[in-house]
Amino acid sequence: MTVTASRHPQLRRRRKVDAPPWVAVLFLAPTLLLFVGFLVYPMFMTVWLSFYEWTGFRIDTPTFVGLENYDRIFTKDPVFWTAFRNTLIWLMLSLAVPTVLGLLLALGLNNRIPARNLMRSLIYIPGVMASIAVATMWVWMFNPISGFVNSFLRLLGLGNFAQDWLGNPDTALLSIFIASVWQGTGFGMILFLAGLQNVPTELIDAAKVDGANRRQVFRAVTLPALRPTTVVVIVLTLINSLKVFDLIVGMTGGGPVQSTQVLALWSYTSSFTNHQFGLGNAIATVLLAISLLLVVPYMIWTIKGDRE
Amino acid sequence: MSARTNLAPTHPRALQKGPAPHPRRQRRGSPQLMLGLGLALTTIAWATPLIFIFLTSVKSQSDIANNLPWSLPTTWEWQNYAAAAERGDFWTGAANSAAISLIKVPFGLFFSSLAAFALARLNFPMRRVTLGVIALGALIPVQVALGPLFSTLLNLDLLNTKIGILFPYLAFGISYQVFILYGFFRAVPRELDESARIDGANTWTLYWRIILPLAKPALAALFILDFVATWNEYSMALALLQTPDQFTVPLNITNFQTQFTANIGQLNAYIMLSVLPVLVVYLLFQRYFVQGAFSGAIKG
Repeated sequence: MTVTASRHPQLRRRRKVDAPPWVAVLFLAPTLLLFVGFLVYPMFMTVWLSFYEWTGFRIDTPTFVGLENYDRIFTKDPVFWTAFRNTLIWLMLSLAVPTVLGLLLALGLNNRIPARNLMRSLIYIPGVMASIAVATMWVWMFNPISGFVNSFLRLLGLGNFAQDWLGNPDTALLSIFIASVWQGTGFGMILFLAGLQNVPTELIDAAKVDGANRRQVFRAVTLPALRPTTVVVIVLTLINSLKVFDLIVGMTGGGPVQSTQVLALWSYTSSFTNHQFGLGNAIATVLLAISLLLVVPYMIWTIKGDRE
Repeated sequence: MSARTNLAPTHPRALQKGPAPHPRRQRRGSPQLMLGLGLALTTIAWATPLIFIFLTSVKSQSDIANNLPWSLPTTWEWQNYAAAAERGDFWTGAANSAAISLIKVPFGLFFSSLAAFALARLNFPMRRVTLGVIALGALIPVQVALGPLFSTLLNLDLLNTKIGILFPYLAFGISYQVFILYGFFRAVPRELDESARIDGANTWTLYWRIILPLAKPALAALFILDFVATWNEYSMALALLQTPDQFTVPLNITNFQTQFTANIGQLNAYIMLSVLPVLVVYLLFQRYFVQGAFSGAIKG
């Protein structure tokens, strides 16, 4: 910047030519109004209302109860801890399965093999479908009588394993997760494929000239080049697994016997089905805290990187 | 594994020249084949639910009950589609979803490009903090705010209206778009602004004539991605839209599922109908999905 300015004296006046701050405010106004009115304000209201008891109906007024809602969810509400545990399980599984599968598929489909575009598309397509449609599809896939899963097991002679996948508390969450893998793997794959295009081919060639084998090239060149992509995939996976809602609503509604509850859905159920807005918002506040805990480090990292 | 053991001995040269005549070939050849096989199997597994849903959607009730899931329909019941569309009020839902998406997406992109331009190209106090706070919005699960959004819209008398739901849709969509567009605008060389300013361009001209056109590829990708996301959105719609005349397509799916559980063929026809628009959008604008992924993968 200084070099340019000294070379072209007229550019030294840049500061004067720059728009005054109020112009920036005008450009930001629509975004900030929407953002504050319909995202920041509701978020603060969530925290605020978590200290109140309220049915959510306009005719009722919220009454202040202090920390009572938190006391209830932490010590008296067994479903909260099921939901909490399931959210964590979901998060771990999502970090492990679809991401690794997506990376493997990206590495495979980055090779010049026949029909690779068709394969990429078919694996990605579930990702553009509405989660609620995916949920409905998989309810039918898992149908105990005529569903595909059980019929296929019987075909393989594994009829003993055929069961009511979504009606059994031991298998319900995992069955929903399978639908989630089906839907989400393509997204990670596309991101990793995009990341693989940034791997410098000169470096790979140079490593090969130096006698590195495939595995060494992968570890020394490909993996480091994929690091930014990996960070993005991990952050998006974290966010998406905290949001998981549609699939569960559509497949089990949180049941059987609340065995597939997660925090996002339990908060919704408490507020809207049980009309306990305070309780629902206390659960939402916990979810908010977890989200911030997970994403703020990433934010700081990104903003710092911007400085360079 | 089996591919390797089967293929190696039948290789004619392998038989002629002893145990390992062409180690490079063999080492490359069979893993390549296994890779292809693995990928093909994965793809088939991925396509299976789609095929199953399609087959079910063109079968009669008795066909579904009596025959295997992968059997072809004994009679092709295409009328399942027309019947499902009528019973499930498909066109009302599609019109609502289209109206919401086609208003939300252009406005959202316009607003977020304005904001991203200010954040990337203008100097003002608290610039970095503003960027950070807006970007943080993209990382918050929407379910956190559903309760208060409900009461806010209730107080504004906008609950259960398409206009009302636009506001939270815009607010929750803007963050991500600002973040991506900020990255794009940031990459444009500063010198461009300076020379435009010297030529007498004001800030609006700079935004509208110079910076925005440069971001066309990103805007196109964001348009498509946001259209699909809006079309598919479920949790906000579930909380904020309440009567069938306002329902969007995703709400109609669950509605159909609970009302007409017994009619599996029609239910699957309904699912096919509801995903068809986004499938068409995907097939037409496939490259934008990849570009969108690209812009997301580049660290803003």
